[in-house]
Order: sequence, then C-alpha cells, then structure tokens
Amino acid sequence: MSFLGFTALPRAETSPVALLAVPLVTIVLSIVTMVVMFSALGADPGVVLYSFFIEPLSSSYNLGEVLIKASPLILIAQGLAIGFRARVWNIGAEGQLIIGAICASLLPIFWSDSQSAWMLPGMIVIGALAGMAWAGIAAYLKASFNASEIIVTLMLTEIAKQVLYYLLTGPLKDPSGYNFPQSVMFPDAGLYPTFGGDGVRANLSVIITLVVTIGCWVFVTKSFAAFRLMVGGVASDAARYAGFSQRRAIWMSLLIGGAAAGLAGVGEIAGPIGKLQPILSPGYGYAAIIVAFLGGLHPIGIFFAGLFMALVYVGGDIALVSAGIPASAPVVFQGLLLVFYLASYFFVRHEVRRVPQADGLRGAA
Amino acid sequence: MMDALIFVLAGAFATATPLLFAALGELVVEKSGVLNLSVEGMMALSAAIAFMVTLQSGSHLVGFIAGAASGALLSAVFAVLVLGFMANQVAAGLAVGILGLGLSSLLGRSFEGATLLGIDKIAIPLLSEIPVLGKILFTQDIVVYVGIAATGLVAWFLYRTKAGLTLRVIGENPNTAHALGMRPVGVRFLAILFGGVMAGFAGAYASTVLTPLWSQDMIAGRGWIAVALVVFGTWRPGRVAVGAYLFGAVSLLGLALQAMGIGIPAQFMTCLPYVLTIVVLVAISADKVRVRLNAPAALGESYRAAS
Amino acid sequence: MRHWMRTALATAALGIALTVSAEADPFKIGYLLPNPVGELGWSYELDRGGRAIAEKFGDQVEVQFVNSLGEGPDATRVMNKMAADGVDMLVLGSFGYQQDGMKLAKRYPKLSVVHIGGYMNAPNFSTLTPRHYEAAYLCGMAAGMVTKSETLGVIAAFPLPEVLNVMNAYVLGAQSANANLKPVKVIWLNSWFDPAMEKASTESLASQGTDVVFSLFPGTPGPMAAAEQLGIYGTVTHSDNSKFAPTKHLCAGQLNFGPVMIKKVEEAMAGNFKGDDVFAGIADNAIAVAGLNKDLSDEQRAQILARQDEMRAGTFKPFTGPITSNQDKEAVPAGTSLDDGAIKGMNFLVKGIDTTIPK
Repeated sequence: MSFLGFTALPRAETSPVALLAVPLVTIVLSIVTMVVMFSALGADPGVVLYSFFIEPLSSSYNLGEVLIKASPLILIAQGLAIGFRARVWNIGAEGQLIIGAICASLLPIFWSDSQSAWMLPGMIVIGALAGMAWAGIAAYLKASFNASEIIVTLMLTEIAKQVLYYLLTGPLKDPSGYNFPQSVMFPDAGLYPTFGGDGVRANLSVIITLVVTIGCWVFVTKSFAAFRLMVGGVASDAARYAGFSQRRAIWMSLLIGGAAAGLAGVGEIAGPIGKLQPILSPGYGYAAIIVAFLGGLHPIGIFFAGLFMALVYVGGDIALVSAGIPASAPVVFQGLLLVFYLASYFFVRHEVRRVPQADGLRGAA
Repeated sequence: MMDALIFVLAGAFATATPLLFAALGELVVEKSGVLNLSVEGMMALSAAIAFMVTLQSGSHLVGFIAGAASGALLSAVFAVLVLGFMANQVAAGLAVGILGLGLSSLLGRSFEGATLLGIDKIAIPLLSEIPVLGKILFTQDIVVYVGIAATGLVAWFLYRTKAGLTLRVIGENPNTAHALGMRPVGVRFLAILFGGVMAGFAGAYASTVLTPLWSQDMIAGRGWIAVALVVFGTWRPGRVAVGAYLFGAVSLLGLALQAMGIGIPAQFMTCLPYVLTIVVLVAISADKVRVRLNAPAALGESYRAAS
Repeated sequence: MRHWMRTALATAALGIALTVSAEADPFKIGYLLPNPVGELGWSYELDRGGRAIAEKFGDQVEVQFVNSLGEGPDATRVMNKMAADGVDMLVLGSFGYQQDGMKLAKRYPKLSVVHIGGYMNAPNFSTLTPRHYEAAYLCGMAAGMVTKSETLGVIAAFPLPEVLNVMNAYVLGAQSANANLKPVKVIWLNSWFDPAMEKASTESLASQGTDVVFSLFPGTPGPMAAAEQLGIYGTVTHSDNSKFAPTKHLCAGQLNFGPVMIKKVEEAMAGNFKGDDVFAGIADNAIAVAGLNKDLSDEQRAQILARQDEMRAGTFKPFTGPITSNQDKEAVPAGTSLDDGAIKGMNFLVKGIDTTIPK
C-alpha cells in the first residue's frame, strides 16, 4: 500500500490534531471547488460566498432558519451515531421520521379545536414511540432472523412514504381542503412555540435538540450502557465473552435511532410545516447519516457538523435568489463536501510515513 | 383482453431492463464484499449524460457508451473512497449518490423535457410469428436481449470461471484471499467499476429508450429497487433477473387493471415490491445454510491490506 | 489572494450599485416555479407569463425567476428572502406554496401575492386559476369526433378537484360530439412525476383499444410522444405539444398567462392590488384550444371553434345540467349551471367514466 515512496499506517490512537484539521481542510477544499464551480456557472463567486456563509448569519430570521434546519439533522444524527458506533446501520431514518410525524399528527388532526396544554407533550411522546416502533420492525427482523437492517430500513422508508400518501388522500385529508392531499392546519396547541422575534421560525425543536445532544454526550462519555453497546456491536465474540449481547446492541441502536427520527418528524409538522403533507422532509434522514459521519460519530462533532450542513442548505436557498445559481448546484456542493470529508478522514485514523528503503521491514509489518 | 395481457408481459421486459442492468452490476459489486449504495445517483447521472450525447450524436450506441463511462467515473470516485481511503461503505455510497443526483440535474437542466426517438424493436424471424409468445418474447429491442445475455454471462463468470471464484472468495473473506495470493483491492476496484458501467447502461436505457426523454428525477427510485432486487434474488443472477421481470410485470399490471376499471389503491401496488423484498430477506436470512451459500460474508466491511 | 480581493471589492461595489439603483426603483417581482422550465408544460407556461410581464413593462419592472423549487419549508425560506429583500410582488407557481405564501402576505401587508391555483384569499393575496376545463371540453369534442373505437383514455396523476373538473369537462365534450362513446378508461399515476410510467400508461390504454389518449396535467411530453409512436391521437393540457406528436397531436388547451398576469401587475403598480379570486378562462384570453389536428374536417373544426366563441361570449357553460355522476346520482340538476365554487371543489365524476375516485 505504498505510493510514491509513502505509506499509510493505522494510528494507535486517533490524532486530535487531525480530528480538528480534517473538517477544516474539507471545508477549505469544498469552498475552493465551489468558487470554481459557481464561476463556471456564471455566478459571481463573491456573491455566492456571501450568500452561503455570511448572509445566513446576518439576520435573526436567517439565524432562525439555520437553527430549524440544523435541528432535525442533529437530532437524527445523534440517534444514528449511537447505532453506527455499534456498527448497526440504520439508514431508514427518513421513514422513521415520516411514521413519527404521521402518528403524532393524529392528536392535532382529530382534536383540531383543542387548546389542551397536553397536546404538544402528547405529540412528542407519540412521535418518538412511533419512530421507535417503525425502527423496531428492523430490529426484530435483524435480531431474530438476521435480516440486514440496511435493506429493511431502506424498504421501510419507501413503504412509509406510501402509507403517508395513502392516509393523506383518505382518512387524514382536510375535509374542507378541496381534496388536496394534506391535513387540516394544526391548532396553536399542536405547534412548537417559536422564539427570536416576529416571523422568526426558530422553535422548541432547537431546545430539544440541545437537550438531546447533551444527553448523548453524557451517555457516550459516562455511561456503561454505551460501552456495552460498542462492545456488543464491534466485536460480538468479545461481547459474548464479557456477557453482553449483540442482540441488545441491535435493539438499543435501532430504537434510539428511531425515537430520534420520530422526534425530528414531530419537529417538522409542529414546527415550520404546521400540518401533515406529502413532503415532510427534504431527505433529512439521509443527510443526517452524512452529518453523523461528518461529526466523527461524536455528539459534539455532530452538533457542529449539523450546524454547518444547515448553513450550506440555507445559504444555498439564499444563493438561488441572490446569485441566481440553479437549485441543483447546492446539492452538488453537498456531495463534494462529503466526498472530500470521507477522503480526508482517512488521516484521522492513519499516519503517512515515508517508506523505509529496506524491503525487509515491510514483511515484518 | 389478450392485447392487455401481451402489453403487461411484453412490456415487463422493457420496464425491467434498467433494473436488471443496475442489479446485475450491484450483484457483482456485493459478491466482492462491497456494498455500493450510490446506484440511484449513478443511474441518474448516466441517464443525463447518455441522453445529451445521444441527442447530439444521433447515435444510441455512442449514448450508451457515454452513459457507461459516466457511471464508471462516478463509481471510481466511490472505489477510491472505500478502497483507497478506507471510508465507510454506507457513507461513501450515500455521498457519491448525492453527488450523482446533483450533477445529473445540474448538467441536464438545459435538456429538460426534450425527447428522442427510441430504438426499434427487433422481431426475430419466424419466432416472432408464434401467436402471443412471439409478441411477448421475440419482439423486443436489442438491449432487452443484451440484458438477458448479460444475466447468463454474469452467472457464467461468477460460477464457472477462475476470476469469478477469486471474486467470490474475496467477498467471503478478503484476508484469507490475500493470504492465498489474491489481490482484494484490485479485484474490488474492478468489480466496483463494472457496477458503475452496468448502472450506466441502466440509466442510458431509461432515458434514451424506455421513456425516451430526459427530465430531472426521472430515475424515480429505480436505483434503490435495484439494490433491493439483489437481496430479493438472493445474490443469484438468474433469480435477480426473474425478480426484475416480476417487478416490471407487477407495475404494468397495475396500469392494465386500472384501465379496465378495476380499482386497487395505487399506493398498495407501489409498496408491493418493497414488502416482498423484506419477506424474502427474512426468509433467506433465517435459513443460515442458504445465506452462507449465497450472501457474501464480508459484505460492507472495509478491507485493509496488510502491508 | 488578489482574486479574493477582487471578488470582495466586486461584492462591495455590487452592494453600492444596488443602493444607487434603488433610487430609480423598478417594481420588483419574485417569480417562483416548482419545476425546471423546459420546453413546454406548466412551469414553461408560467415562465412565459413572467417574460410577458418583463417585455410589457421593460425597465419599469424587474422580474426575478427561481425555478425547480420544491414544496415545503425550503420554498418558504426563498419567499422570505425575496420579501426581506423588498420585492413588491410575489408570483407563486405551485399549490404547495399556498399556506406559507399566505403567512408572508399577512406579515408584509405592502407585498402583493399572486398564487396560481388554491382557494385562500386576503386583501394582498390573490389566487389565479386557469379554466383548464373550458379547453378540455373543446378537446373532448375533438376526441369524440375522431375516435373510431369509441374508446377514450385519460392519464392523470392524483384526483385533485381541478383534475376532476378537467376530466369531467373532457368527457362531457366528447359525449356531446359522439353519442356512442364507450366508458372512458382512466389511469391514476399516483405520482406527479414518472415519465416511464406515463409512457407505459399510454401503451396500456392503447392495448385496450383506446385510440385517443388525454394526458391531463402531465409531468412530461412522454404520453404525447408515445401516442405518436403508437399511432393513436393525443390530447393534452397546458401547452401545444405538436412538436412531440407531429401527426397525432389532436388538440391542446394552450395556456396564456401573460394578459391576466399583466393585469395584476398593473393593479399592484397603481397601488390598487385586489386580493381577488381570478378564475381566468377563454373570455380572458388565458386559455384556448391549439394544435388541432388536420384530420379534423373543416366542419368539425368550425364546430369546435364555434363552441369556443360561445364560451368566450358566456353563452355556453360546460357544467350545465342535467349531469349525472358515475355513481348514478344527480350531480347538476337540469337547467342550472355549476357556479365557480362548485367547479373548483368538484368531487364527483360524470357518468361514462370507468373509474372511481381513489379513496
């Protein structure tokens, strides 16, 4: 594995310097690429950079947008990362989000004139439980039948989309909404309170995300359960020897991931959307996987990775207007960002050394 | 009534062909122990490129080559990530997939809604004269026949050649394979490129023959269905092909029944293949022996060459 | 490094340029479309309407187009950005923008919003819906005239009320021209967007004897191109598709957003924008039949155009009773015509359509 006289060797411990340097290098690489790409598209790179990185932070409205965009990403990513660390690959958070949203929406749809203060807590609990249950299907099939959770969660996402559509064209349709596939608007009691000023959409979901992030941080760094989860997933033989069950790792990973995704679903319908509609998420479930990896599967890293991704999303929307870039350009930018990150993350776990000239040493390694 | 039946059974071949190509490619990739989740993105990009090139050159052949090349290029990015930089396969697949989807709408946006002429169906002499069967089996376009041939070739390669054996051993246990003098990284790289080429053909067929027009998001989840089909077919090329044709027939059957006035909730028909995939997956996974026979044991795990 | 300086300077200069030009202050319009514009269809026709505004008012207006904007919270952000940047008017080209557009209209009382379709109004929030069904009735007549198998087929996405009224008008038109029509076949795509299934649906209908297919609110010209290949006639909404079906294009309901849109802009510029519900049809030059096939005889063509003239004059209304639903219920009593509200909220299918409204 040597290249031009250099070789990469696994590090004994991940390098803290590299851990910080990698995201920075990634961002710089992406920005350089972005300037080149958007210039080629005929947009003014100065305006693009301003739209992407300055304007989203320049008003309370835009800041609020970054926060509500970051919330679902961070929330889901925190849940998924716990599973990913245990090598349980839940890639169906999108479906768990949808099912969480559907079940939580039953309260405001069927009690649409209620002003009960219990509605919101009820929605939060139902949403998290429903997301959990949907992911639980995959956990059951994996734990009992060894069915790949990657495929099952993926398929369950497609099914969830159809369930949503079926319900919106029938039982949950707004009766006075001219047959359009959407529910009634939720009453105020079913909406997250907002903060930050008139028209700013930052809401309770941001606080929930913060709490979950801190919770995950404590869980990961302090708890025995997290250790058990790691061992159960990473090396099942060792785990069994130590009396830990891989089965429990699967259940715990998927249930936590599902609950977080369900919660994110509640955040969307009780937040910026305010009703149940065919499109609930622009792919948060998938983007969160990326956020989890961008954040190095660490709660604090995920928090910042989620904020950065949100910045790119919001900045992209602004650039559509101010720089006239096509809607697909920010998607390409996100793709590049991830590719660069995954490539440079290599250096967190590996160090590059000059290959020793003597051939004998290679055999010994 | 008979015509409606012929429509379903004959049309199923064309509907299945992009799924078949993409799934056969992914099958070979997975047999080498790599899970590439970027199929949807590769198909989308190559659909756009193949369409543009066919429109400009007037030649479907050139379009297919361009589609295959763009699929291969994108898969090479994935290969470098997972083999060179040892990135997690799930994350790398999703990342490259997003890149492909973004690039396809970026590059294709000036061709939105443009159409092409498809390619003619070939009526095989004599055989196509057979009542009913002739129209179903022997009046198809050339790519459909190539797809059937490709199924046989992939099966032959995997189970009858030394190279195929090498690929399967690497998919089972790359460390053992390396100890036996095989080159897991090189073989996996080639397998991933093959997957890219096949996804490229799939995308090219979708945009230049099946529809034949270009529109953003036209792949509409077919890449994910291809990934599911590999599992549905328990990693056996023949069964993957049968699965693809079944899927094609079921989706057309829904359209035919509707036209007869028989109402089935459209969402139910759309869900069916996904539910079936889960059922099949559970059935085969529970049976340890069959899983061991077909599913590559090292699927999804990074391999680090001992240097 | 020098390059960076230059872009920074350019940005600053641009900022100054914007402030300076603010004194001349053209009337700014933000124009939001859900899909890529392409060569024809919904987004294309809306885009054409926007260009008509730009052409008519020249330097007085500045139209900013954003297309391919998905529905949902992200579209809201773009609207907000435009409102915060001080646009005077927003044109929202998709139903999914309605509720957030309404919220924005309430927050910015000086902003004029024109929403295409939908059912909500406020003093500064106007809805503009084309009467697709008028042209559909005329295209239905053409279909009834040319069909040999007396079997018509319709491809539609979802059973929205607007889809139902267009389908009903089409079938009523066909029945008026052909008394022997067999039940009309319908395929619901369950997707706004799947060109492969659009084409396959056309083939499915053709395989069951349909010789005129109606592509109702299509995502792509796919069904029309497929009809040409299959040698059956195609009718379509939104745009003349003759380019994609040179010999088999039977009839299209050609939209023309220019005149109605210009009227709304004039209102807003003069400071008397009305938050009304504009239901614009043939009489407003917002829609007309186009691309009539040369296989129609002169007499048939004259019949269709005469009906169009009656609609323009207001002497003929497609939804005039007696109309029976396909559940055998009286939908419109004899001697009455449906009012606009009933047309917009239509939830029945007329007798002679062989499908049920998916529940």
